[in-house]
Amino acid sequence: MRTAYKVLAYLVAAEVAVQAMLIVWGIAGLGKWVDGGGVFDKAVIESEGAPPFPEVVGIIVHGINGFFVVPGLALLLLIVSFFTKVRGAIKWAGVVFVLVIVQGQLGGLGHDFPLAGALHGLNALALFGGAIYTGRRLRAAAAVGVEQPEARTATPVS
Amino acid sequence: MTGHSRRHPPHGCVNAGTPRCLRIALPMLATVAIVAPLAWLWQASLVPAAYSVMDMGYPDYGVGTMPDPGVSGPGGHMQGQMPGHPMAATPRLVTDMIADPARPADLRVDLVTRKERLSVGGRSIPGFTVNGTSPGPPIVARQGQLVEVHLRNESIADGVTLHWHGVDVPNAMDGVAGVTQDAVPVGDEFTYRFVAEQTGTYWYHSHQVSNPQVAGGLLGSLVVLPKSGIAQQVDVSAVAHTYGGVRTINGKAEDLRVPARPGERLRGRVRVTNTDNGLMKIWTAGSYRLIAVDGTEVHQPTEISGRSLTLGAGARADLEVKVPSDGTAARVQLSKATAVIIGPPGVDVPAPPQPAAELDLLTYGTPAPLGFDPAHPTRQFDYRIGRRPGFVKGRPGLWWSINGRLFPHVPMYVVREGDVVVIHIANHSGEVHPMHLHGHHEVVLARNGVPATGSPWWVDSLNVLPGETYDIAFVANNPGIWMDHCHNLKHAAQGMIAHLMYEGFDTPYRIAGPADNQPE
Repeated sequence: MRTAYKVLAYLVAAEVAVQAMLIVWGIAGLGKWVDGGGVFDKAVIESEGAPPFPEVVGIIVHGINGFFVVPGLALLLLIVSFFTKVRGAIKWAGVVFVLVIVQGQLGGLGHDFPLAGALHGLNALALFGGAIYTGRRLRAAAAVGVEQPEARTATPVS
Repeated sequence: MTGHSRRHPPHGCVNAGTPRCLRIALPMLATVAIVAPLAWLWQASLVPAAYSVMDMGYPDYGVGTMPDPGVSGPGGHMQGQMPGHPMAATPRLVTDMIADPARPADLRVDLVTRKERLSVGGRSIPGFTVNGTSPGPPIVARQGQLVEVHLRNESIADGVTLHWHGVDVPNAMDGVAGVTQDAVPVGDEFTYRFVAEQTGTYWYHSHQVSNPQVAGGLLGSLVVLPKSGIAQQVDVSAVAHTYGGVRTINGKAEDLRVPARPGERLRGRVRVTNTDNGLMKIWTAGSYRLIAVDGTEVHQPTEISGRSLTLGAGARADLEVKVPSDGTAARVQLSKATAVIIGPPGVDVPAPPQPAAELDLLTYGTPAPLGFDPAHPTRQFDYRIGRRPGFVKGRPGLWWSINGRLFPHVPMYVVREGDVVVIHIANHSGEVHPMHLHGHHEVVLARNGVPATGSPWWVDSLNVLPGETYDIAFVANNPGIWMDHCHNLKHAAQGMIAHLMYEGFDTPYRIAGPADNQPE
């Protein structure tokens, strides 16, 4: 369970990095396409089928990741935290979960209020740091032995 | 849970209440507390393998009249309650609502649908054709003609239908798979018959798996000319469609050039149809008059310059522009990407800058009689659009809600023939929604509480921006079961679909089921 906890926490952090890369990749592709004469408007945003420029995949996957994958990982982390029997594990899984929810809300709000999009970027840093800390502190906790005796057999994974 | 869990199996918890039992039970309980509500929400969002739209959601009788005493009260989702089934009365079927079968057709059109690759702007894009092209052949009828369209599906595996967007056809001809007919499978046929009573600009498109099929080009224009003809010397249809991000007019990724003799003073009528999921801005190089909206003439439209027009998804606008006699051309910009240019061949007009100001149809033109009194409605409904997390058809996501509920728990608006209906639309979802009611035309009474003071603003596709409210009214004069949905067809596929039904109606068709009807 501890291994699962750590893996999930690090996966959340890795996903934040992937999300940052995807969205900038997508926006850069958009800029290049517009430079080449492409007109980006509501009709193009809503159009189906073949993408107007290949990097649009980055924007789409950012959405899927953000709506489904990251919240799913955070929820699993929270559930797993109930079974780790490490002091503070539930609290920090909860912190990560709340940051993920806030992140989704800010992302959605950014469509109405672009300034919320700026906070979406800032909160991403908090989430990244929070998820890394959540994974690392479990390892630290295991090292000082605050856990239950029978769980000492768990092998730390670096 | 590896080695140690085998040494201490869960059933080792013998003395309830001991710390060890609590250590096992509490995490389990916490997990159940999280997972169980999610599982319940997921389960409640599932739809049966085949169902009638009559069983969707709950009947909404609105404010103003008492519900039919023979009709069951509001029910839950998929409980088999049929709002249209008065006890001890035989329901009328949507299939009964047809044009006079004895009357011969005045205009016959054969349409064949195929799955084909399209060549758009130098790219090869998977799509759909009607008679080998996308858009399909334009249909031009004269007012009063009985139009008979014979549809044959040659190679579209999902099946097809044809919906006559904006034409208030008899219900059986509405072309909604699973509501008014079964989708037409490969090799099969269907004949649509309706009298073209309303003049104006309309379009046809598939209403089976409509999100990908319309995006893929299964559509075409339909124009009904008045018996007396039109006042303009040049009549241009401009079907705007975006294929995989490529903007086109009438299927070509370039400006549409309409030749006019030099020195001739002309008036041009540009019929713009927005077949995309997103709104489109229209503006001109000179001035223009907006002479028709969604097929209905504007009353006493004035000259407009320096203002753009917003055309929502599915909507149409007829613009009148003057071709000057000095040898230059008139230019109508359909977004920044494409334009309609009417003038002598070879003459170019630079693209005008996009105006920041907007033409407001709430105050455009002058008032005229509506033909009914919306001040005393017999039914009043709410159509509040929101967005919230949840499950639709078992899928988690941030979904559109109608009156606070997610598909399929959506209202079935129930009316009686002759009702004066007022619908209050409110968009609190953060995105624009082009709302399309089938089979009827609605007049805008007010936007954001401000009454309309211009020409009667009749619509069938109303662009509702985030934060806006609209009060619209219509007379229930076309019995049947009609979709009332968002024409951003992606949103429709995500569950932004309600229906308007007349009391005592039923449909023999099923969503999904053997014909695999998927109207969205």
